[in-house]
Amino acid sequence: MSALTSSFHVVRYSAANAVADFRATYTWRSWTFGWLGRMLAQVTFFATMGLALHSSASAHYLVVGNSVMTCVVEAMTVVTSSAWERRQGTLPLLAASPARLIWVFFGRSLQWPVSGTVTSLVALLGLGPLFGVTWSPGQVPVLVGLVLLTAVSTYCVGLFLAAFVLSASNARNIVSNVGYLVMMAICGVQVPVSFWPDWVGVVAQSLPLTHTLAAVRGVAAHAGAGDIALRAGWAVLAGACWLGAAAVAFTRLQIHARRNGHFSFAE
Amino acid sequence: MRVFTAAFRFQLALARRKPDTVHVLVTAPLFTLVFVSIGVHAHRPDFTASAVLAPVLMSLWSLALLTAGDLISQDRNRGTLEAIVATPARFATVVLGRLTAVASVALVCFAESWLVAWSCFGVVLTIAHPLVFVSCLVCSSLAMAGTASLLSAAFVLMPSARVLQNTLTYPFYLLGGLLVPVAELPGWLRPLSRLVFLSWSSDLLRASVSGPAGHWWTALAAIVGLGVAGAVSGALLIGAILRRVRRTGTLALT
Repeated sequence: MSALTSSFHVVRYSAANAVADFRATYTWRSWTFGWLGRMLAQVTFFATMGLALHSSASAHYLVVGNSVMTCVVEAMTVVTSSAWERRQGTLPLLAASPARLIWVFFGRSLQWPVSGTVTSLVALLGLGPLFGVTWSPGQVPVLVGLVLLTAVSTYCVGLFLAAFVLSASNARNIVSNVGYLVMMAICGVQVPVSFWPDWVGVVAQSLPLTHTLAAVRGVAAHAGAGDIALRAGWAVLAGACWLGAAAVAFTRLQIHARRNGHFSFAE
Repeated sequence: MRVFTAAFRFQLALARRKPDTVHVLVTAPLFTLVFVSIGVHAHRPDFTASAVLAPVLMSLWSLALLTAGDLISQDRNRGTLEAIVATPARFATVVLGRLTAVASVALVCFAESWLVAWSCFGVVLTIAHPLVFVSCLVCSSLAMAGTASLLSAAFVLMPSARVLQNTLTYPFYLLGGLLVPVAELPGWLRPLSRLVFLSWSSDLLRASVSGPAGHWWTALAAIVGLGVAGAVSGALLIGAILRRVRRTGTLALT
């Protein structure tokens, strides 16, 4: 079996675990009225701030930014859910198995970017029009692709952080929250990236959300296909780099864990 | 009072060992960064008070909510719940003491938010009525502990509600007028908003910063009243739950 096929199988089995986990966590009712309701309230919270500023342009900006942000929040849950493996005592077994940890963990939390994509699309297409953000039917497929790209590429950022949190699982919620809040602050969600000092802008360019969000705003403003494709391309590149970094981090972790046996069976 | 103090100290010791339990100390400065940046970018200095104060109340609410959800269930998972319940100390007092500790920790967030606004944006939030401001913060943290004890009992009665724990954040931030004052919310929402102590806290904190504080005692009485209502309901509910599980012998299974 080739390495590629083997990796694909590992991701598939791991993703089956993710689906089971998601089903155990939510029913369709608790997801809709619990999770989705909470995220829509978050978007409304920021959108009303735009209205309170008496600026429809601000409200429009905040609705688009925070709607896309919802999938980022959910994708970053990979940091927390990866750490669950430690609590469940499966980490030493995973470290000992011949499978590469990166593919195990890539599949393990795939429920979050998928669910996050749905959440973001409901916010953009369902809540957006209430605040004056409308989309034509022709824009919807592009929007779906860009939101999915946002969720998956941010998931790769989360995977990188997850590799470190496995060694300090008590800090899982802090790392996850700080991760998405930094993105919320600097990636153009609430204010343009140009608002921040140049060095912050450089950091923002390394995060896929900056590019995908710019592309979504481009779609809303009927920008040219070339501009949008370029932004999406940068996001793909940034996401791939983060996945590569996550692979290196997980490999080092696996080697270190095998040598020192430092993966305990509990927190 | 000794039970309350011991529970208070125990929760603080627990927070020191598990950094995740005080994650708001890390997230509050970032929320401040986000909110103040929106106000500065929109050239709205009048928005500063809300931008600095909102993360404080958000931290208070989310930390108490998180603890309310975890408190009893973690004791049950560790196998310590039966022993705590068997002691002569009132369990509701233990719960209230622990929740007051986390509510107090959240008050540190004000200093953090103030520092972030000043160091990152040069925005200095001055407090026109310090006494009203401090009274409001203290009463709000006590009201939070009371409200959280009610939620804590509710989470025990309905373990499935834990999934919805996260849901109780942003809808309450909206209802509480944390960023957008209650007066600017739709008319039909305002009566509901006034049932949430956060709405009184956020209005009073803003008033104490920008002045005039107006009928501050009305707002303070509302915060205390809603907090006491939560604490009493929580104590009654916890008492009822304990009587039931003692009778049926299902404490570990509830």
